[in-house]
Amino acid sequence: MSTEQTTRRDFLKGAVTGLGFGTMATMGIFSYSPMRSIFLPEIERKMADFGACKSVKITNISETSWFDNATLMGDMKGAGGLLVDQYLYNWPPFGDGSGLAKGSYERGIAKIKHLLPHNLEEAWKIVKANSIHPDNAGGFAALIEIERLDGVKKKYLLDSGWSYEWMDKAFKREGIDKMLANNEIEALIISHEHFDHFWGLPVTMKYAPNIKIIIPDGFYKEGLQYIKDSGHKGELVVHKKGKNDIEPGLCTYTFDVPIISRVFGEQSIFANVKDKGLVSISGCCHQGIIQFITTAKNELKYDNDKMHGIYGGLHISPFDDWDPKYDDLVIALGGWGFDIIGCNHCTGLLTAEKFIRAGYPVVKGTAQHRSKSHAYLGNGDTLTFG
Amino acid sequence: METPLYLEERSLVKRFSGPLPILLNTLFVLTLFYVSWWIFQDPRGIMRMYTPYVGYMWCRWLLVIMIWIAYIFDFWPFSRSWLKNTHPVLKGVILTTLTVVLFMIVLKGFFETILGEYAIAYFSPERLTKEGIVEFYALEYSAQAILMFAAIASWLSPAWVVAMESSPWDKLAQPVKGFSILMFTFFISVIVYFVAFHSHMAILFDPWQKFAAITPPWWEDFAGTVHGNFNIAWIMCCTVIVWMHETIWERYPFSMIETPWLRRVASFFGIIVIAVALSFFLYFAQELVWGEAIRGTRRDASPDWRWLHVGEMAIFWLLPALYMHFYMKNGFNAYSKVMNVFLRTVASIAGAVVLYYVYYKTAHLFLGTQEGFSHPQQFPMIPLIWLINIMLINYWFMDGWPGWRLAEASEKAPITHVSYERVALSGSFYRGVAGGTLAGVALYFVIVYLIPFMGSALIIFK
Repeated sequence: MSTEQTTRRDFLKGAVTGLGFGTMATMGIFSYSPMRSIFLPEIERKMADFGACKSVKITNISETSWFDNATLMGDMKGAGGLLVDQYLYNWPPFGDGSGLAKGSYERGIAKIKHLLPHNLEEAWKIVKANSIHPDNAGGFAALIEIERLDGVKKKYLLDSGWSYEWMDKAFKREGIDKMLANNEIEALIISHEHFDHFWGLPVTMKYAPNIKIIIPDGFYKEGLQYIKDSGHKGELVVHKKGKNDIEPGLCTYTFDVPIISRVFGEQSIFANVKDKGLVSISGCCHQGIIQFITTAKNELKYDNDKMHGIYGGLHISPFDDWDPKYDDLVIALGGWGFDIIGCNHCTGLLTAEKFIRAGYPVVKGTAQHRSKSHAYLGNGDTLTFG
Repeated sequence: METPLYLEERSLVKRFSGPLPILLNTLFVLTLFYVSWWIFQDPRGIMRMYTPYVGYMWCRWLLVIMIWIAYIFDFWPFSRSWLKNTHPVLKGVILTTLTVVLFMIVLKGFFETILGEYAIAYFSPERLTKEGIVEFYALEYSAQAILMFAAIASWLSPAWVVAMESSPWDKLAQPVKGFSILMFTFFISVIVYFVAFHSHMAILFDPWQKFAAITPPWWEDFAGTVHGNFNIAWIMCCTVIVWMHETIWERYPFSMIETPWLRRVASFFGIIVIAVALSFFLYFAQELVWGEAIRGTRRDASPDWRWLHVGEMAIFWLLPALYMHFYMKNGFNAYSKVMNVFLRTVASIAGAVVLYYVYYKTAHLFLGTQEGFSHPQQFPMIPLIWLINIMLINYWFMDGWPGWRLAEASEKAPITHVSYERVALSGSFYRGVAGGTLAGVALYFVIVYLIPFMGSALIIFK
């Protein structure tokens, strides 16, 4: 081998070694330095105008999705954890008597389909005989009353809970049954397919089978079939990812979000209250409350450019669990400057307590109708924004 | 003189000509993976350990125990003749069973009883349950702490053998050598655990356990999160770089250092430096594709998940690199060592990109996971490490059966023990290094410029 060849080979070896060194060194020095921001695009706020309303009143029909957390988590543990398909649990109303984690939608609904939606009492008796821990089922539902700028009021139902028995009682307690029967409610907005928000659908159908139902994109075939099997006769609207207008000052926003128990997609609600600002209303907010309000900040125009209020489940510690990332949320939420925080349901009691400790404007509840704590808005409590 | 490890000493030859051995072993490994995944991990399967932390803990710890058996104890107490003369399938079954039994002893004996009952409550699910934590989360919290220990051990245990070359115990015989390295790496793993993860565990409970741990954790301001995933990121990168160093890099460039103590120290700390640089880069890459992380958000927008995903991306790189090493003899061998290393690195990164794309596009169709990048129970590390474990069982414990077999003495197969080659550190070499370094800086910025376009071109979820 000639000297020239050797020199060239040595140079090449050095060059390749240097290439690796130079790339790696720059990775270490530059990648997490403040200088990297020059490569990150500036976020341009779109400021989409969706109108404004005078006020929003929310009635908590039920925030108690289940009554005993240890029982629910025992079922989840026994079934194989949080990823197991919710229709397999053999929970009510799809119990088929085969035991925990051995169920199916088809076998479960076959036992009660003929009784839906008008004979829920009989259906629930069958459900109780065949399901795992039927008495632990509760449900989430809220009534949203929006007052337009001209004073006209419109009502929307957010979710339909879980247990037929519990939800029917809760509807009667708050007069929802009559509102539905009198067609006073414009639409049923289902936040997501989870058992505690959606499986009580026949209770709404019992009183208003023709009501418009709005679901987020991502429902599985079992969920779509359940809407039919529950006796729904009205319009079904599927909200795609992104903003979907409901009426002036009210829109939903759908997120493609994977959720535990094999559920996909959630829609939450924004209201723009005149002279106050943005109100965020959610069923579970699996996308995360800060993701939700960051989306609003990037996409929407709202009064005073101000985050005014929150209502609903924030899905932080729903099972009395904790994770340090929730502390990130608790710490970060303070920076958004909300005036009113009305949380409950899957927000978790510990989170509500941490909010209170952090000095956030949390609206206390009455702890009635089986709600467990004054630290959040309980069943039957109301909250008005504006 | 140091005795070569069995894995370095043995020589494997193909049972069949052509690509058949590779195809056969790929099929074997994937079949074993899917059957075992269904039995043990899949949320639709039999044992459903993917809760996720229980299953995650098991796959991380099985990896660590296999490293202990193969690298630290060099298969002691099994003799060389037993290793050479026992049928690979029987050997695989015995050694895998031993791995499981050893982990059960470590889990129940060390973590849950000695630590959990007499020192730190969060290692014991029973104790957490007694203190009022729901049983499901008691198990998850405990598993989380135990697997974090495994994350550290899966970096330090092999690092001491391949980077520190088992020094200063390299000349000892087994089992003294194995126990010495085990004790020492276990000791420093404990220290790293306390510094990197104890604070994470302490703020899992309310109120924060401020008298028992540093709260908020020391990394909060730097990492933008109080979550321990920040440490998972660089520690996972350490694990991956150790194996790059040992396999497709053939210990280059540190193998150029002739002075043993300097080479060892440079290798050990060099791996950490490279890993930290890689973790910063992989975090930045996510910012380039998805935008800046926002504290308090969840899933793919949050800093804690972004740090976790750094570790996940690193594992996506490790898998093709190990596959290339095990079943393709490192893939590129025709050029100088440095050029081979370069080509292997490029090929394995390309493999990682393909694997990443295919995984997120399809995994939810057959693994029982959820569609999407981020999910509370979506940990690509679990199936990927599970698959790596299966590959290790096949390659380490079964000598590559069915595609490969141990070479007979007469076959004179090449020795695979790593050699510390002399590189002519001439003026030409140094000029090359200088020019290459500048090109490397330029390459970095070209990559940074291209990543957003790559992100747009390879949209996985709309």
